[in-house]
Amino acid sequence: MILSRNAEDLYWMGRYLERTEHLCRLLSCQVETLVDRPVREINFGWRRIYDSLHRRPPGPELAFATSEDDDYTLADSFTLADDLTFESANPDSIRNGLACARENARQVRHRISSEMWTCLNAAWLRFSARTIDDIWKTAPEAFYVAVARDLDTFSGVAQTTMYRDEGWRFLQLGRFAERAQLMIALLLAQLALVREGREGAVGGDWPGLLRICQALDAYARCHGAEISADRVLDLLVTDVLLPRSLCRAVEMASGALNAAALGPGPTAEARQTAHDLAQATRGRWSGRPSLDERADRLRRLQQKCRTLHDLVLAAYVGYRVDGAPAR
Amino acid sequence: MDFGSYELDAAVYDEMFLPDGTPREHSRALHDALRGLSTAELASIQSRVTHSFVSEGITFTVYGSEEAEERIIPIDCVPRIVSADEWRLLETGLTQRVRAVNRFLADVYGDAHVLADGVLPEDLVHGCPQYRPEMRGFSAPHGVWAAICGSDVVRTNDGFLVLEDNLRVPSGVSYMIANRKAVKSSLRRLYRRCRVREVEHYGRLLRRTLVELAPEGCHDPRIALLTPGVHNSAFYEHVFLAHEIGAELVEGRDLLTRNGLVYMRTTEGLRRVDVIYRRVDDDFLDPLVFREDSLLGVAGLLEAYRLGGVSLVNAPGTGVADDKSVYPYVPDLIRYYLGEDPLLANVPTHICRRPEDLELTLDNLENLIVKQVGGSGGYGMLVGPHATPAEREAYAKELRANPAGYISQPVLELSSAPCVIDGRAQPRRVDLRPFVLTGRETRLVPGAFSRVALREGSLVVNSSQGGGGKDVWVLDE
Repeated sequence: MILSRNAEDLYWMGRYLERTEHLCRLLSCQVETLVDRPVREINFGWRRIYDSLHRRPPGPELAFATSEDDDYTLADSFTLADDLTFESANPDSIRNGLACARENARQVRHRISSEMWTCLNAAWLRFSARTIDDIWKTAPEAFYVAVARDLDTFSGVAQTTMYRDEGWRFLQLGRFAERAQLMIALLLAQLALVREGREGAVGGDWPGLLRICQALDAYARCHGAEISADRVLDLLVTDVLLPRSLCRAVEMASGALNAAALGPGPTAEARQTAHDLAQATRGRWSGRPSLDERADRLRRLQQKCRTLHDLVLAAYVGYRVDGAPAR
Repeated sequence: MDFGSYELDAAVYDEMFLPDGTPREHSRALHDALRGLSTAELASIQSRVTHSFVSEGITFTVYGSEEAEERIIPIDCVPRIVSADEWRLLETGLTQRVRAVNRFLADVYGDAHVLADGVLPEDLVHGCPQYRPEMRGFSAPHGVWAAICGSDVVRTNDGFLVLEDNLRVPSGVSYMIANRKAVKSSLRRLYRRCRVREVEHYGRLLRRTLVELAPEGCHDPRIALLTPGVHNSAFYEHVFLAHEIGAELVEGRDLLTRNGLVYMRTTEGLRRVDVIYRRVDDDFLDPLVFREDSLLGVAGLLEAYRLGGVSLVNAPGTGVADDKSVYPYVPDLIRYYLGEDPLLANVPTHICRRPEDLELTLDNLENLIVKQVGGSGGYGMLVGPHATPAEREAYAKELRANPAGYISQPVLELSSAPCVIDGRAQPRRVDLRPFVLTGRETRLVPGAFSRVALREGSLVVNSSQGGGGKDVWVLDE
């Protein structure tokens, strides 16, 4: 048994942590491209990030695939990295993600282990002591890797120290529900950019996508060095052995939801939705769908993920108290 | 640690040194250990103590600037020593005081003999904003209105004095425990040698107290700690205590009442709450009874309490006994209810509602501290000797307009204790807040939160006014 408000805090904490870690990986891979990749590829990467966040970059629209000027690109990159990392006015920045996760954790400090709190607080203190100027001077990718490692450490600490009660289930549910939505959003952004026909110059940066999803090694093991869009998408969406795949994320979310107690609201519908999502992503998609067909399916899954989110909150948090059981 | 520039003032009792500069017997071990530390070692200890607060996020929130800011209370790493004899006096004196206060509360909301017998003026009590007529005729479980009391005790050359009793939502106990944890791990060998009494079992005692105050027939109560929320300056403490006592940490929006019972919203539906340790002021507890604009409370809570469906700790209305206008009468209350002489004295207090006290106060503003009777936290207070003539004049005007709203006290020479300031030992003024728990019996953990006025020459120890904290080591017999 857990207070509805605490369950919501843990759920959101999971979501914010996942979102922050995802953005760290996006940025770590993106700033690496600044070292030696052509301007078009760099711009492709920035577009992929902003589109997946459903966000417009600050200032004038990125001169995607038109500018070849290195200086402009690097100056733009500094601004964009700052916007996505330290900008407090950007709700999607790493700063805000981390701050919100910590704020949620602060509210449920008595519900998580003290080691989890200390770990997250330390990550926040380390992060908030830095600025874009600090990290840009040397190796910004190392900074993003370090923040992501802090968050990985937090996950490990949670895994080994948190009591496996309802609180744990909501933390897991938030984490995996967010992971599923982020993966879908990233893939849709990738497919949209490819569809725009702009991939010619950069080949769609499928290896970059695999790196972002920490799936390059797994891909190489399964398929060798030859990279094909279909295989990449199959791996990222339907391979349950890949830790960050979409199907694994929805399976984990579904598992957490099934393990949670029956809520006074529409729990059965929420569980059914999670189950449907798991079914829809499991196993290779039949009929060798085109990229457009894949995008259509992903959009339907995206809608289902949103429904799942609403149902979870309605089942456990926003339910009507009139008819709720009282003990 | 260099005590070379540690200046003793004959007018000020020093917690470590006798007036001739030799360490007091019970402080000798601490003194010798500190003297053996180099400046670098001391700085490292201080830094470890501070770092432990930062890394564990033991913070309070300060308002007033543009946005709320999370800060840590600066903790001085040098503990304050309280001898076994001194503690015995504090323990018996505070227990006596709390017993009398609870008798007073039961009486003042009951038959009010104390008013009929003229021990306190009736209009003073009934005019006190903390007096809650809604509680008339109510009997608190086991006669305990104030189950948790944090009295502020100061020491002067005349001995210990009680400066005020905090009976509403006293805070600071989490710092008592956090200070201990931080300081003892930094001064391990010394801690062991000094045979310091433990304080970490406070949570167990608090839980036992709350269980004892559960509604009749409820043997395994579900306890909730009611917090105003994350923006409250004591939120860390609320989380800490909820964890220590195994309570749910609830806000008003998590609770609702139904048929005289209180429930909280959980993921499995509504679950009954039996005991509420409330850290929300009376005013905000129940919008149906007190402030109707309160978003922090629970509609119907007071009715549930009166019907015995839930226990509220402390009871609503206890504030009347810690109001600054009632405070001067506490020694009389001890004599009246217990037939005993007070073991701990009050600070001499002028009650400005009395014309002669008002005149005396106005004539001596530059020597007195004037306080609003309903005030707390060091706000709304005039420290005469430190105020400018213009500030005193402005304050005098308010005082004349509403004399009953003020009391005045002499500027007390609070005792000093050594603190690490810029790497050297410097005397700074301190107070002491022990916590008294009352259920079926009265319990104190042997320790306290000691606040320190860290600014040189300052007498104001409140954390909201630049004060810090110290660990208090109560020595075993």
